Amino acid sequence: MKNLDSVFAAYMAAWAIFFVFYLTVATRAAALRRDLDRLKSSTTPGK
Amino acid sequence: MRLFTNCGALIGKELRTEYRSRELLTTTIVFILIVIVLFSFTFDPTSDESRRFAPGLLWLAFLFAASLMLQPCFLREQHNDTLSALRLSVSDPFAIFLAKLVANTLFLLLTELILLPLFAIMYNVAVVPVLHWLVLVFFLASLGISIAGTALSAISAQARMRELLLPLLMLPLLTPILVASTEVTKSLFDRAPYVQWKGVGFLAVFDLVFLTALWLFGEYLLEE
Amino acid sequence: MRKNVLAAAAVFVLLGAAAYGSFFIAPTDAKQGLIYRILFLHVSSAWTGLTSFFICFIANLLYVWRRQPKWDWLGVSAAEIGLAFTSVVLVTGPIWAHPVWGIWWTWSPRLTSTFVLWLLYVVYLVLRTLVEEPDRRALLSALFGIFAFIDVPLVFGSIRWWRDQHPQPVVMGEPGSGLDPVMFRVLFFSWFAMLALMTLLLWQRYRLAAMRSDLDTMQQEMEAR
Repeated sequence: MKNLDSVFAAYMAAWAIFFVFYLTVATRAAALRRDLDRLKSSTTPGK
Repeated sequence: MRLFTNCGALIGKELRTEYRSRELLTTTIVFILIVIVLFSFTFDPTSDESRRFAPGLLWLAFLFAASLMLQPCFLREQHNDTLSALRLSVSDPFAIFLAKLVANTLFLLLTELILLPLFAIMYNVAVVPVLHWLVLVFFLASLGISIAGTALSAISAQARMRELLLPLLMLPLLTPILVASTEVTKSLFDRAPYVQWKGVGFLAVFDLVFLTALWLFGEYLLEE
Repeated sequence: MRKNVLAAAAVFVLLGAAAYGSFFIAPTDAKQGLIYRILFLHVSSAWTGLTSFFICFIANLLYVWRRQPKWDWLGVSAAEIGLAFTSVVLVTGPIWAHPVWGIWWTWSPRLTSTFVLWLLYVVYLVLRTLVEEPDRRALLSALFGIFAFIDVPLVFGSIRWWRDQHPQPVVMGEPGSGLDPVMFRVLFFSWFAMLALMTLLLWQRYRLAAMRSDLDTMQQEMEAR
């Protein structure tokens, strides 16, 4: 099938963009969650 | 109407400030001249090529110049906090914007009209037969550039890297003006000149839309 | 966590169904053969990007009116996701154009306008990095976002008009270029699947913004003690 590789490339590129976006959001969220937990645990003993 | 009296007074202030130093006009004119000369190295300035590229270059030059000329608009109000004084002196913050955009339109228009004869000579385009239409296009486009530019300069004045930020904010936003004015100017520079009313209409619509937006949201741009 | 996984799975299924439809349900195009099927990805991404920017616009308006941080969080999320979808349009465009017309970039109305749209929202995000104070950042970017969005129809309209003056031989699935009804249905389903993906990404990004804000508040409280 002619041009199958181009169609494939297009789909791969699109999913790559979405996946990278999702991944960056997820990693930042995980890091933030860790920071938040750390802060919460550091304040509760002091109360 | 109070708005117009306030506005009139403020326009007077803007014009007087510029008249005293004339630095904005002179630097803008010299900048556009430099750009026009530099552009001439990028293509063959024979009559036919000129007719094709000249309108685009003219408007690009005006746009770049405007994005530099509009920098001081709100920046100079930060010295001695004159912006607070202005805000206190008028009941409607829109008057401040209206005054600034009228003054900026006048400055831009003046710059364009001064440069037009030079441009016509350097690029061999016939402007005299279509002068009145050119003035109309210049006016509508300059108005649009000033409306958007004045609003955006209020934004960039409150951020870092403001000298680079204002062109960044303005240039993509003003794409419709570039497209419409270039097309209309191109048809006016044609061997058989004609007016593209659709393009003129576009410019008018752009002006109206952004003027309305500025009227609706201007006060938030000036918030403390 | 359970909700997360379920939602992602649902979106995955929808996207898979859309891809299936693009390849097996939509009929073959006489002129372009297989490659035209990129249209289902390309056009649905374009529409979804615009939808996301519209959500950004509404969030911007609500922020200026109400000044609640959640509208700022929604605004920046919608802008970033809109950019992701718009980037897909700009990447799939050349991939489609090259085998068919032998050129990588076509100044077709959709691609050109999409490029300007992309630039507008990149500038929106750049503006945000240049204002430090959170409330001021939210207000200024909301105002720019409003101006940017009302500019969008003007950009598309002026470029379309300009292209009418300078006709291009390239037809990249512009609306009205004669799509058959089955193709339309597949396209709308693809759009629906993309909207589901957009919603998922929006939700994730919004929560990230909310968490960031929580963290900043907690840190400020600690410093105040």
